[in-house]
Amino acid sequence: MLSALRQILTISKWEVRRSATTMPREVIPVAAALFILLILVTGFTQESGIHLQDRMYTAGVDSADTGAIILGDPRFTVYLGTAGETDLTISPPNIRAADTDRGGAALKAFQTDYTHYLTAQYNREDDLFAAYPLWIDLQYVKSELDFTATEAGTGVSSAPDPFRNPTPDRPVKAVPEPAKEIGYTREELRAGLVGSEGEDRTVSRYTDVIAGEGALGDFKTPSQLTPPLPFDVIVLVFVFIFPLYFTSQFYMMSVMNERIERRGEILLSSPLRPSAIVLGKMLPYLVVMIAVTTILSLTTGKTLIVLAVIFPAILFFLAAALLIGMAARSFKELSFISIFFSTVATSYLFFPSIFANIHVISLISPLTLIIYAVEGTAFTLADYFYSTFLFWVTAGILFAICIANFNEERLFTLHPLRDKVREYIASAISEKHPFASLFGITLFSIPFVLMAQLMLLVLLFNIPMPFSLVVLTFAAAFIEEWAKSIGIYAIAVERPAFLTWRNVILASLAVMAGFLLGEKLLLFATLAQISESLFGAALFTSLQVIWMPLSLHFAGAFITISLIKIFGKRVYPIALVIASLVHGVYNLYFITGGF
Amino acid sequence: MNFRHVYIITKKELGAINAEKTIILAILLQLFIAMFSSFLIVGLAVMYDPDALSDYSRQKYPVAYTGSPSPLEEMLQESGDFVVYKMDLGTAVTALEERKLSGVVWVPDTASDADQPVKITLYTIKNDIQSSVVNNKLRDVFVAYEENLRDIRGDRISSDPIVVNLPAEIPGTNFYEFVYGLLIPLLIFMPAIISAALIIDMITEEFQHDTIETLISTPVTFSEMIWGKVSACFVIVPVQAVIWIALMVVNGIAVAGIVPILLHVSVASLLMILFSTFVALHYRERTSAQFIFSTAVVVVLIGVLSLPANPANLIVLLSIGAVGSEHWLVLAIMTGVLALCMVALNRYTHLVEKTALQ
Repeated sequence: MLSALRQILTISKWEVRRSATTMPREVIPVAAALFILLILVTGFTQESGIHLQDRMYTAGVDSADTGAIILGDPRFTVYLGTAGETDLTISPPNIRAADTDRGGAALKAFQTDYTHYLTAQYNREDDLFAAYPLWIDLQYVKSELDFTATEAGTGVSSAPDPFRNPTPDRPVKAVPEPAKEIGYTREELRAGLVGSEGEDRTVSRYTDVIAGEGALGDFKTPSQLTPPLPFDVIVLVFVFIFPLYFTSQFYMMSVMNERIERRGEILLSSPLRPSAIVLGKMLPYLVVMIAVTTILSLTTGKTLIVLAVIFPAILFFLAAALLIGMAARSFKELSFISIFFSTVATSYLFFPSIFANIHVISLISPLTLIIYAVEGTAFTLADYFYSTFLFWVTAGILFAICIANFNEERLFTLHPLRDKVREYIASAISEKHPFASLFGITLFSIPFVLMAQLMLLVLLFNIPMPFSLVVLTFAAAFIEEWAKSIGIYAIAVERPAFLTWRNVILASLAVMAGFLLGEKLLLFATLAQISESLFGAALFTSLQVIWMPLSLHFAGAFITISLIKIFGKRVYPIALVIASLVHGVYNLYFITGGF
Repeated sequence: MNFRHVYIITKKELGAINAEKTIILAILLQLFIAMFSSFLIVGLAVMYDPDALSDYSRQKYPVAYTGSPSPLEEMLQESGDFVVYKMDLGTAVTALEERKLSGVVWVPDTASDADQPVKITLYTIKNDIQSSVVNNKLRDVFVAYEENLRDIRGDRISSDPIVVNLPAEIPGTNFYEFVYGLLIPLLIFMPAIISAALIIDMITEEFQHDTIETLISTPVTFSEMIWGKVSACFVIVPVQAVIWIALMVVNGIAVAGIVPILLHVSVASLLMILFSTFVALHYRERTSAQFIFSTAVVVVLIGVLSLPANPANLIVLLSIGAVGSEHWLVLAIMTGVLALCMVALNRYTHLVEKTALQ
């Protein structure tokens, strides 16, 4: 144990010394200069605004006073006089838009500006309660619905009966009548209203949200009722995730450098263990990332929580960097895979946290917990476990795969990425116990499947409802079938003779068992919350009675493998599609409770 | 300079890009980013804009009306989005917890013209998509009720805002601004950034793999090799831009001014590629070059976007056909800068060849 630790530290020292000596001297000062420049430029941008959509529309106004409504909006070019041909012609109380798409869009833009104008007027009204005669107090209620109801196949919602009041099944509990007094003074309310005026319009203009989060919590005017966008999220992503991304790039490159001209051969021929090499090279970057995160989190004042939340993400980034550094054939490939990976990873962290105050799905991203911590919303240890679990597990599996493959054969051969991935998987299959290996591979693929599926879930969120559910169901089925068949495909390529009919059936059984066990384990571990929504139903329907999902997973795997056996490995994609169609139809059938 | 040599290098590099399928990843990346932003904007707009959702569902949501009678009850019924039940508060909230209702409204007996505001309590389920949709629909009714109350209390309001009668139904959505004002410039400039990163990899790879000496021992000179790589990275930019524009047009999104757009993109992307070539030639090592380049790109992008009449803004205006002839002036200035950079790069390659490779 001690010697392993010493090995890791030795490698770390080498790594630090190497990067200190090989990096050109002026990189650090240049980077520092660029960083200062970045701050200056950002400051300048905040002053002058982003000029991307400037002058998109033209408007003719009858007087300077009318023009003042939209003069602050850079999207409009305003002309005095209503005779010219413009997208909008405004002579109060009349407004006319050109009969084009642009005219419609301009009208929409004007509508938002006009509401802002009115709001600004009313906010300064002496008798605030005449200008804002209606206030809404939002009271949140916890849903007591048992998700098993939908699992059992009952419809999700039926049309309400207008003639009979709904009656609760449980005993009615007493709810105290809310007070009719408002509980805030006029000036407190006014401060809240004026405060929400200055929200960044470049983003909010898309969402029709007129006022953002007021200072008064759940106490709002009617137009504030739309849930506020957590703008902090965008900032958080930039602040916390980008340094991680940059630093992991250096690790990736350091691994890649060992492979150029077989430079790492000396290291490999030393008595050091691969795990010590991998971890030792990683350590300096890990330390840098933690240091950077700690420094950045000082601004939020919740250093410990932020660190606890970011740490699994750091590990995940480093594990992926290691894999990419080990698998890429050239710098170009390295660049593209790493950019692609970081875009996907960033959006996995980013998308869900947008819904931080709206939907429970936001909890799949650890960033949401940071938002909660900053906002002061409490979260439980279970929430933490839930949102970071996948990062811990996938990082661990990736490290294990990379360490197992950190040898001359894998490092110094240049195979296309697809083959490389297949080789990595094949390396996990033992000759003696192929079925046990298949079982294990499928089991360990579950966290990745889940990550991909959750990603899908957030991406497909924006398609209209019935359609998104269908797409989600089939896409989720495809990912599952892919994960289930990937191990067998690797065997089929390396040892085509392995695929006898007996082995096909046994392999399908092994995959089935592995997948079901993994799914169940994960479900118990983390997924209670997500499976409570209808979308959860699309992902996890196959978890009801035991024999049906068993036969489903068996059928899916069996279809893919036997098609490969009959028609050869080139039909793999088609076989996958067929298997996922079957799988998807089954899931759809159960979500809709019969067609 | 022998242009045939440049052409040979260009062909070789394009072949390598094709063989490694890197370009597919690049296009996937752009697609993903397009999805990313469309999720952000369209998805959020749908989330926050109930009208966008209600096109698909004319579902009526059950809500309970509790407390004192008021005009609000009738307004809720008339909106057509709700089935309104008159209930007592306790039953209603319990039914809401069991999701037999979508919301519960409590109205106090405050008079319409009272000094105090009317404070309505809305019970809703937290962290729930359906609740967000229902709250949005309720919002419209509440806003109308607010207007009513404001009218009743009108004589107490002193300010006199300009009245503009907006049409009840505004055609078009935020989609227009999103597509033209964000997606098009984004998709058109992504290939430029990708190509600029690509050239760094191409050049540093030759240095780090020590293949540079082999290359210049052939009849191809060092500077011909660099220009070959530059042109390989450059030609794929307008091609990708054309593909994106064609896809837009196929999807029914008319794009005006395609030729000037392509000219602007070509000039801007070649400038970026030349810039990253300088960086690559200076460091000759990928880690440093990419690091400096990507930081610099962020600085430049933010800086450029904060200037009025920047190329991205011009592309927005060109695509909707709302630009004056001033964009030719910008293009001319950019082309001038580009010509200077090309001369400078040519000199620099000779310098590198002399000092570093002997």
